[in-house]
Amino acid sequence: MPSHADLDRQIELLRECKPLPEAEVKALCEQARAILMEEWNVQPVRCPVTICGDIHGQFHDLIELFRIGGEAPDTNYLFMGDYVDRGYYSVETVTLLVALKVRYRDRITILRGNHESRQITQVYGFYDECLRKYGNANVWKYFTDLFDYLPLTAVVESQIFCLHGGLSPSLDTLDNIRALDRIQEVPHEGPMCDLLWSDPDDRCGWGISPRGAGYTFGQDIAAQFNHTNGLSLISRAHQLVMEGYNWCQDKNVVTVFSAPNYCYRCGNMAAILEIGENMQQEFIQFDPAPRQIEPDTTRKTPDYFLFKLL
Amino acid sequence: MATPEMADTEPTSPEQPNCAAAESSPTTTCTGSHGASPSLRTIPSPTLCCACASASASASATTTSCPPSLQPPPWNPTSASPPPVYRPIRAPAINAPNHNQTAIILSPVPQPLPVDVLPLPHRFEVPAKRITSPADIDHFHSSASGKGFLGFVAGLSQAVLLKKISDPLPVPLSGTLESLLNLLDTLSRWADEIPPLPHPGRYGNPAFRLWHERLENFAEQLVLDLLPDGDIKPAATVELVPYLLDSFGNSTRIDYGTGHETNFAAFLYCLARLGLIKEEDYQGLVLKVFVKYLELLRKLQMVYSLEPAGSHGVWGLDDYHFLPFIFGSAQLVDHKYMKPKSIHNQDILDNFSGEYMYLGCIAFVKKVKKGLFAEHSPMLDDISGVAHWAKVNSGMLKMYKAEVLEKVPIMQHFLFGSIIKWFSSKNQVQMANQTASPGTIN
Repeated sequence: MPSHADLDRQIELLRECKPLPEAEVKALCEQARAILMEEWNVQPVRCPVTICGDIHGQFHDLIELFRIGGEAPDTNYLFMGDYVDRGYYSVETVTLLVALKVRYRDRITILRGNHESRQITQVYGFYDECLRKYGNANVWKYFTDLFDYLPLTAVVESQIFCLHGGLSPSLDTLDNIRALDRIQEVPHEGPMCDLLWSDPDDRCGWGISPRGAGYTFGQDIAAQFNHTNGLSLISRAHQLVMEGYNWCQDKNVVTVFSAPNYCYRCGNMAAILEIGENMQQEFIQFDPAPRQIEPDTTRKTPDYFLFKLL
Repeated sequence: MATPEMADTEPTSPEQPNCAAAESSPTTTCTGSHGASPSLRTIPSPTLCCACASASASASATTTSCPPSLQPPPWNPTSASPPPVYRPIRAPAINAPNHNQTAIILSPVPQPLPVDVLPLPHRFEVPAKRITSPADIDHFHSSASGKGFLGFVAGLSQAVLLKKISDPLPVPLSGTLESLLNLLDTLSRWADEIPPLPHPGRYGNPAFRLWHERLENFAEQLVLDLLPDGDIKPAATVELVPYLLDSFGNSTRIDYGTGHETNFAAFLYCLARLGLIKEEDYQGLVLKVFVKYLELLRKLQMVYSLEPAGSHGVWGLDDYHFLPFIFGSAQLVDHKYMKPKSIHNQDILDNFSGEYMYLGCIAFVKKVKKGLFAEHSPMLDDISGVAHWAKVNSGMLKMYKAEVLEKVPIMQHFLFGSIIKWFSSKNQVQMANQTASPGTIN
């Protein structure tokens, strides 16, 4: 088992946006699994803590997030999922977050997003990225196997309920969530799927989600859930919001999105939500990282465009 | 964040009974009473009902099924005992996919197929979604519908080999093509008439819903205007309108992606099956109609900030489109000096984007995306290293089949009716009726 010195060296390397060798990723994921399997479906988190939304492989913007919010472990962090897919640096992003989790398990909480899934990562880029950066799918497998252990939700000081997507008609209480068997691939339907896929909506009650998974829930649902569980706020990610954060449902729900200029084009700001020592809330917005390290741009012809070798 | 397209699952009812299913199931027993005491801690039986084990199971607190599982003990915030140790209880749902480079290289390039024109009179029907699983995808691609549609797309690509957008057409624009251009002009005008609304919050602009509502209100008339007088007017509208409505993005999600583009191609394929578009029209269909469609979509994307539906981000070809890369690479096959690597030459982009769709797409990406091209568009950058446009074109056709037409999250929205049939023969229908279980149509 590597000492902290090893981990610290890996974290230094990762901060420079350099991926770890495959064997080190494997060992890291094994360590992380041992830590994550001890965490709860509703992981208790203490304040002060800084809550972050989607990252989606935008590594340089994650580094900017740490620069603005404070470096780990000086600042405690709670990430609400979607570390991978779409961006160019999902491998480096998720490896860094997992390494930080292993190194500072009580200082950083990483939840599961709907993209932390075998099925979704095969469609939305992480799988392709692993193949490209490692030449095989082993690293993809180590991470997606690890994703099964990520906690689904967290609650800050029994007041702020944090999760990636939203509520589920099958889950009225936090105890209902605690009773879920989460160690599995994200199912196509059911309560665990809903937590990762649902969205708040202007309409009251439950609605069919246009995403084809999860539900939409109205202000009445969110207010009732908060009331039932003695919560003051549902903090979630999952949707691109132009200011990086967006209050809705009479401040029962807030959306936090931490990938600025999403997909290199959307022009949105990113935000993080700082919860202070006395539970005071402060949003910090940020723009895309000004400096970009030159990527390795060696061209690799996609298989579809290769000639038959005779 | 928004990954809009996932399995089109039938939502579970919010008021599902929790233990009814479990109690009637012989494999699952409820050993604890509701409101079980916190001392319910050791769970020897792997067949315990997960809903009942909760200390405070309420009427709606349930999973839809109760898989046999080990159970964490009830939550007790005052307890100092460590959280329970979970262990995986089932194999991963999906194993690592087989990435077989040789299979991709050896897979055949989709070839043009002549369109099988429907005999008239014909009984039209409202089209419906059919694809929910990889098995359904296999069924689609082995069916006459799947082969015919892919052959149609390959045919369109072949029709524009070596053709500039401004090249003279082999035949004058047909009435149908003129009508399609008018239709697209109308939709474009609506985007001028319905400005984006000032709105905080989400990326997509809600004014797109107004634009789309107008499309829904006028769709029938727009389709009627396309149809010649005769047997199919107005009967075919019931079948054609849904394809048109799915061709310009989703109004709820305020997004657009290759699935919608594919639906537009399917709309055109339906017109071809009805004999309204003939092979001689293909060049005009691609270089006039499809080019105008692309212009309209770029306008909608910009005006209403449509989110990329199911975008692969940097790991896809493009956030929104695929077909213009097929058609556009065909246009450039054997071009005397523009090579795939010419996309890095800004002069060439500036001068020829209006004549070659592929270059237009690159220029547009460069305009709207910030940062290094090789980083925000590594696929396009990689492809620029391919030696010949012919190889780009054949690769694009293979990739379209594999990455769009074989992907459940995209094709679950594809529509099937009497023109693009799900079942190609009566036998299959009968077999399916005998064997189909709810939710799986095979």
